[in-house]
Amino acid sequence: MPTTADDHPAGTTNGPGRDPVVEAHGIYKTFPGVVANADVDLRLERGEVHALLGENGAGKSTLASVLTGLYQPDAGEIRLDGRPVVLRSPREALAHGIGMVHQHFKLVKRFTVAENVALGDRTQPILMSAPDVHRSVVELSERYGLPVRPDAVVGDLTVGEQQRVEIVKTLYRGVDVLLLDEPTSVLTPQETEALFDTVRAMAADGKAVVFISHKLHEVLSIADTITVMRDGGIAGNVDAADTSVRELAQLMVGREVMMEAPGGDGQAGEVVLELDDVSVDERSRRGRLDQLSMTVRAGEVVGIAGVSGNGQRPLAEVAAGLIEPDRGRVRVNGRDVTGRPRAARKAGLSYVPEDRIGTGLASSLSVAENLQLTRAHRPLLDRGRWSTDARRLMEEFDIRAPGPSTTTSSLSGGNIQKVLLARELAADPDVIVAASPTRGLDVGAIEFVRQLLAQRREQGCGVLLISEDLDEIRALSDRILVLYEGRIVHECAAEDSDVTELGLAMAGAGS
Amino acid sequence: MLGLERRSDVPAWIYVAVPVIAVLLALAVGAVFLVFTGHDPLTVYRVMIQASFASTFGFADTLVSATPLILTGLAALVSFRVKLWNIGAEGQLYIGAVCASGIALLIGESLPGWANILMMLAAGAFGGMLFILIPAIARAWLRTNEIITTLLLNSVALLFINWLIFGSRSFWRDPAAGQFPQGLRIPDEAYFPRWGATRVHLGLVIALLAVVAIWFVLNRTRFGFRMKILGDSESAARYAGVPVRLMVVAVLLLSGALAGLAGAADVGGFSRRLDPNSLAIGMGYAGIIVAALSRLNPGSVILVAIMLGGVRNAGTALQSLPERVPMEIAVMLEGAILLFALGSEVLVRYRIHWPWSKGPALDASPEEAEAT
Repeated sequence: MPTTADDHPAGTTNGPGRDPVVEAHGIYKTFPGVVANADVDLRLERGEVHALLGENGAGKSTLASVLTGLYQPDAGEIRLDGRPVVLRSPREALAHGIGMVHQHFKLVKRFTVAENVALGDRTQPILMSAPDVHRSVVELSERYGLPVRPDAVVGDLTVGEQQRVEIVKTLYRGVDVLLLDEPTSVLTPQETEALFDTVRAMAADGKAVVFISHKLHEVLSIADTITVMRDGGIAGNVDAADTSVRELAQLMVGREVMMEAPGGDGQAGEVVLELDDVSVDERSRRGRLDQLSMTVRAGEVVGIAGVSGNGQRPLAEVAAGLIEPDRGRVRVNGRDVTGRPRAARKAGLSYVPEDRIGTGLASSLSVAENLQLTRAHRPLLDRGRWSTDARRLMEEFDIRAPGPSTTTSSLSGGNIQKVLLARELAADPDVIVAASPTRGLDVGAIEFVRQLLAQRREQGCGVLLISEDLDEIRALSDRILVLYEGRIVHECAAEDSDVTELGLAMAGAGS
Repeated sequence: MLGLERRSDVPAWIYVAVPVIAVLLALAVGAVFLVFTGHDPLTVYRVMIQASFASTFGFADTLVSATPLILTGLAALVSFRVKLWNIGAEGQLYIGAVCASGIALLIGESLPGWANILMMLAAGAFGGMLFILIPAIARAWLRTNEIITTLLLNSVALLFINWLIFGSRSFWRDPAAGQFPQGLRIPDEAYFPRWGATRVHLGLVIALLAVVAIWFVLNRTRFGFRMKILGDSESAARYAGVPVRLMVVAVLLLSGALAGLAGAADVGGFSRRLDPNSLAIGMGYAGIIVAALSRLNPGSVILVAIMLGGVRNAGTALQSLPERVPMEIAVMLEGAILLFALGSEVLVRYRIHWPWSKGPALDASPEEAEAT
């Protein structure tokens, strides 16, 4: 049942679970042309895990930035333990016990864990007392289940470990309120579970934990209270115990959504994409491939699961002919296209790269120009035809833009991705290589993209789907391959897939 | 708090107002220096305007000064468009002049004048391309910083033309000139035709044609489209199948060719010989200013070049004033205009948020806040 925050009984003094530690009242924040937060109320209690759920651009990050002193609200106030405060900077917020772990870590890679933890702590003498910091790190990591070694160099740690360092860092500064921004986006299922244990331990210790996410299942399993944001305002405030994925999705989007793409039982046909014994050396930290062989057949979606950095990028780029592997061949429809992007396109391959801005699209160019980006052109351009083409595709793919000559970068993320997909799908490919095609998109756009891919599969197109979002892989794929350190360590049919097994394989402990 | 706020959309008048204000501020700074050196700034500025814009012949001379600036401005423009920074138009212009005068002297009277002129133009462009070839290849294959290579080669080119005329008995030097070495005159037939009694010459027509051609290339050809993609993102260009290395070389060669044409225009239309004193007045460097002020827009290059040409032309006129204003004031104004124009670029993209003004305050733009 959606209720507003004010319906809760006012904080009483009996019991640690009921004290409002932070209250935000009527927060209003605009950026030129955008109302990021409109009349937002939020109430955090000690000992609760409070999820902030919403699509991209719903205003979650702005609210978090207001709560941590990064932005000043235009109107409204923040109260700490009932007293109004002005938080002029993240440092001040930290001094008041409010800390945040950002999606992009703010760690010094060459420093040790202890050094990173002590960084910015002004109570430390000029020559920091290393044993004290070490002791604190060990103590905190034991207390909250955050295994980190204080003398490890941060640059050597995995992403999951770095996240633990970030959490230890805020705990070391003695926060009562901890905001976690999309914390699971970089974790394996097992790491996510461990993080959840930590979050619960912190809540049990009387801290308020704000869990910012757009993943419905996760929010349901970790949060006590869920605040859903939409279009800068509060769409609802619900108890996790009596809500459902369906209700949350509806609150987020404002209408019913269908997240599972229609899975037909199309028969897989001819091999349309084949990677044969492909190896790529580690180049500029983009990951490597190690004698990898795989095929994609017509009418099937092959999902590549894996933790980011295990070879996804070279796999996509090798498949698309963009990089030449050190060994092995790539064939599209039986034709050898190794290392030749234009040949790969000619043979029937379309590629939706992970970086849609800056690789898939040149964002300073117009929509019409971007729709022509990968086409073959005569020396003299026919711009009149470009613009009619653009109008047609904009209609067909529901691209919301003022016109074909609109600068692409001025569109929303979902529309930008639609421009990319429109171009790649309009080429009528036999195989689509799609890398993280829905990352960063809002629920409505995700739905649209997934259905486009599913529809192409129905029409007999082979799809190689590379994504770090395991739910997406499982929802769309017919066959799932797990990529770990450049090798395929696990393969299963999507209907027999088991999250635990996939998770173990993603962590390198697969069978 | 005083701060900057990103404009969500830039009103059209800003694009006019900002450069105009930049020029006025530059004049104000120039005035301070004039007052210090004991000149009346208003008189000086009035003389400058009269000398460059107020009479037919004055304006004609302004156009003569503007001619090479249009070409070097285009040279900078094409490379800057793809985020390649050719700072070497100066040197490419000298070598263009060397090749143009060389071919004119070689041909002598063996060909009709128009053929000789065409050969000079081709040789000028070729010379500019030749001189940027090594930086271009080094940039494309070795990722050598082209700013440094092209900039340093300017000195090489300057020393080379000085050596040709002053330091050796080269083919370019007039053997009849004893005491005061100078370049050998090119044959009369190879002189660029002039407009009536003015000094405006064929070079201006070439420059204007070049503007149209560059506009066409940028907007209507596959080459221009590829430049646009490459200028946005190298990764997008690679993805789109643009042959990135060849494009880098081709764009830099085009840039060098335009600068070389400016050198040919000086030889054929102005000094009529290889003349280091006429060439080494910073026309290549001024091209960078022209390109920047034109916001990399080929059409605007003409207007900006005429404005700067006027300032340069007036510098000479100033020396004839009774109080003998140094002509360096022109160079100083040119620099001040560039500084103010680049500085005011911020105002095109951002709005100032005054401490006393109401409305949505921003301590920093979201991106900047994120970075802290």
